[in-house]
Amino acid sequence: MLSTTSAASSKSADLLASREIKHVVVLGANGAMGLGSGALFTTAVPRVTFLARTKEKADGGLAAAVKMVRSSTVAKRVDTGSYEADFDRVVAEADLIFEAVTEQLDLKQEFFDRIDAVRRPDSIVATVTSGLSINQLAAGRSDSFRKNFLGLHFFNPPNVIVGTELVAGKDTDPKLVDFIDAFCTVRLGRAMVRTADTAGFAGNRVGFKVLNECAILAEEHGPLLIDELVGPYTGRAMTPLATVDLVGWDIHRAIVDNIYELAPDEAHETLKLPQYMSELMGKGVLGRKTGGGFFGKDDGGNRIVLDPKTQKYVAKASISRPDLTFIDTISNLHRVGRYEEGMKAFAAATGPYAAIAHKVIAGYISYSFHRVGEVTDDISGIDRIMGFGFNWAPPSVLVDTIGLKATIQMIEKAGLPVPPALANAQEGTKFFDDPQVNVGKFFVAA
Amino acid sequence: MWVSSSSLRERKVLVKEMTQVPEVYVLGGYQTDFARNWSKEKKHFVAMMREAVKGALAETKVEPGEIEVAHTGNFAAELYSKQGHLGAFFLEIDPAFSGLPTSRHEAACASGSLAIQAASAEIEAHRYDLACVVGVEQMKTVGAGEGGDFLGTAAWYELEAKGIEFPFPKLFGKLGDEYDKRYGLKDEHLAEISTINYANAKLNPNAQTRTWYMNYDHAMSRDEFNGTIGGRIHISDCSQVTDGAVAVLLASPEYAKKWADRNGVSLSDVPRIKGWGHNTARIRFEDKVAESANDDYVLPHVRSTVTSALKRAGIADVSGIDAIETHDCFTTSEYMAIDHFGITAPGESWKAIEEGDIALGGKIPVNPSGGLIGAGHPVGATGVRQLLDGHKQVTGQAGEYQVEGAKNVQTLNIGGSGTTSVSFVIGT
Repeated sequence: MLSTTSAASSKSADLLASREIKHVVVLGANGAMGLGSGALFTTAVPRVTFLARTKEKADGGLAAAVKMVRSSTVAKRVDTGSYEADFDRVVAEADLIFEAVTEQLDLKQEFFDRIDAVRRPDSIVATVTSGLSINQLAAGRSDSFRKNFLGLHFFNPPNVIVGTELVAGKDTDPKLVDFIDAFCTVRLGRAMVRTADTAGFAGNRVGFKVLNECAILAEEHGPLLIDELVGPYTGRAMTPLATVDLVGWDIHRAIVDNIYELAPDEAHETLKLPQYMSELMGKGVLGRKTGGGFFGKDDGGNRIVLDPKTQKYVAKASISRPDLTFIDTISNLHRVGRYEEGMKAFAAATGPYAAIAHKVIAGYISYSFHRVGEVTDDISGIDRIMGFGFNWAPPSVLVDTIGLKATIQMIEKAGLPVPPALANAQEGTKFFDDPQVNVGKFFVAA
Repeated sequence: MWVSSSSLRERKVLVKEMTQVPEVYVLGGYQTDFARNWSKEKKHFVAMMREAVKGALAETKVEPGEIEVAHTGNFAAELYSKQGHLGAFFLEIDPAFSGLPTSRHEAACASGSLAIQAASAEIEAHRYDLACVVGVEQMKTVGAGEGGDFLGTAAWYELEAKGIEFPFPKLFGKLGDEYDKRYGLKDEHLAEISTINYANAKLNPNAQTRTWYMNYDHAMSRDEFNGTIGGRIHISDCSQVTDGAVAVLLASPEYAKKWADRNGVSLSDVPRIKGWGHNTARIRFEDKVAESANDDYVLPHVRSTVTSALKRAGIADVSGIDAIETHDCFTTSEYMAIDHFGITAPGESWKAIEEGDIALGGKIPVNPSGGLIGAGHPVGATGVRQLLDGHKQVTGQAGEYQVEGAKNVQTLNIGGSGTTSVSFVIGT
């Protein structure tokens, strides 16, 4: 989904002409983010170097990148190598050095030491970090490094998910930020969002708050019920806890722990990792990559679901579905394109289950609007990253679809703070401002 | 014995000269994002119709109660969704449509244009002043093989498609073969057509392939990522399997005048359908080719469609057209369209490709939207999408794929293997 609000103006042509990226070096080119980002660069840059610990690993990254792009022609633009044999030479030649090594501060710092020693003073250094502080990563480096350093957070897999966060450090050259914004928008087809250098930036800050709250609620209500209550009908393609399983529990923990520690806010407790998840991770449960998390399959291939209370799995078929008629009604309305009626029915739904769903969705809206000024300049940045990074209905779309008054009532009823932007708005105000986006696509029938 | 194709065309010339084209205005419309997969969204096609129609009403600031008649263009919902009677689904869009006269039109990939034709004819006959036309197709309900088989029903299924995997790429491969036989045809020129369409699609926020990778090198590659689908047709030569709906509002001069007044625009700035052409050739590809054996044009009925639309519009030839939205279901169909539009002499389409004439910024941009290859091809919606893109061009609203100063845009929408052809000239 390409949004043009970011940089697709006549200004972008001038910006694009202001510098050149003819050669990108990708560090960590055998990992998912490295090869995915590398794949993206091969489609737009004349030369891309894939580096990994060994040339064989880099070659493996290239082979996977070719499959992602679905064209072997891009391999003609790629050379591969190892950190030991090729690092100094290719980094010295590069216009953009893209760091995608393992998400560990000390490891990344080691690489930045080496980069700082050999890079050209005018080359760009970008990190794909999803959580580490850009200012912390830049600290102590040369002036030219800090000036040319920024965070470029693609979401996995980058060939499918176009939402991308752009994070400047305090010393980053503003002209470079403008250039990268235009380059990524026009040449790489990204939907760019500029965020502050705060924990989890914009997307993970808001997204993992919701995901973790679902994990907390799953302790009492079970993962299956929570995933249905906060399911596709609330504006997402993939259910929340299935998403945590896909992302990996270890990644989930790293993100929420980081936000919990560095960004205490009005929803602090919803960012505290549930104890049962810590305990299960101690036993090796990490989600889909270890064969199961909240959901899995038994040896017979039957679907099983975690019971967080007992930390044991039960057959999915044995879990009875309570009366969730309101979800069926809304889903049926979404199926025929009556999204507003559907979401108004959502806000009007009553009973204990609807109250749980209201709490999470109202929390998502309230939390998003409260982050304006802290992680992005305006709500459209959060809207864009939730829409194009997470594939969730952006908070503004939910307000527009549910209606302002009903949204405020839902937030109040959940005992959450009403964002001033909503409290001060007139009924009928449209919050989502990108006419090129079909908002209906976010509301998935069950 | 069949009469020769040239005498058939002469008869059509007589009809053409007797025809006066009354004015049908195009107020505007709405296209859904062709990159969406509505099956993944678990939606019924009525959701797609609803988004398109509601979007068109919002775009044109028309109240649903003002619509007097509605037409749906759709090819094969019976196959893809096991649902017929698509006109009736208008009433599921808005309560104000209760009682609305509706109908559904089918002519394979030209279904959308046929719906426009029907609505136009009713407006010209003074039956109604304001019509809503929606073209719709949900194709991702089935896999590629099954979908390819469904598309085979646009040919003579029993003779040309039954038991054949992907019959249509093969038929349009034969079109390339016929060009090759008569005039010579190079893969390089087809690859360039594909490259241009994909490049244009990157500028179109509703195009299905806007984030896909394509360039000339890839279009010329022949490994597993760009394998053959049928003869000379490779993956990069094909249009897409697409879910999408497009709605436009057509109006009589009386309604258009009122509408222009209330929106503070001059009637002369509201685009009109200035001319139309509509012909049918025999359904079997080999019969068409046999008929045209002695003709300059490989598909003379397509040529006739193009020239009759121009003639009705009072435009001498393609030099009076600023941009074209044509039916590139395969690169060979666009190659055929280039000379059939008269951009080059018959058999010399390659010249326009080599000169850069058909690229955005060229002498006569073809498919600035990306066409069926780049923008996507939801079969029943394509003709309506072409007219809407023409409207966007002549009103300066095509954004990054705008053809500077476009006054007249011509469409060409083709059902089957060159069987049913419809062309419109839209302009102000």
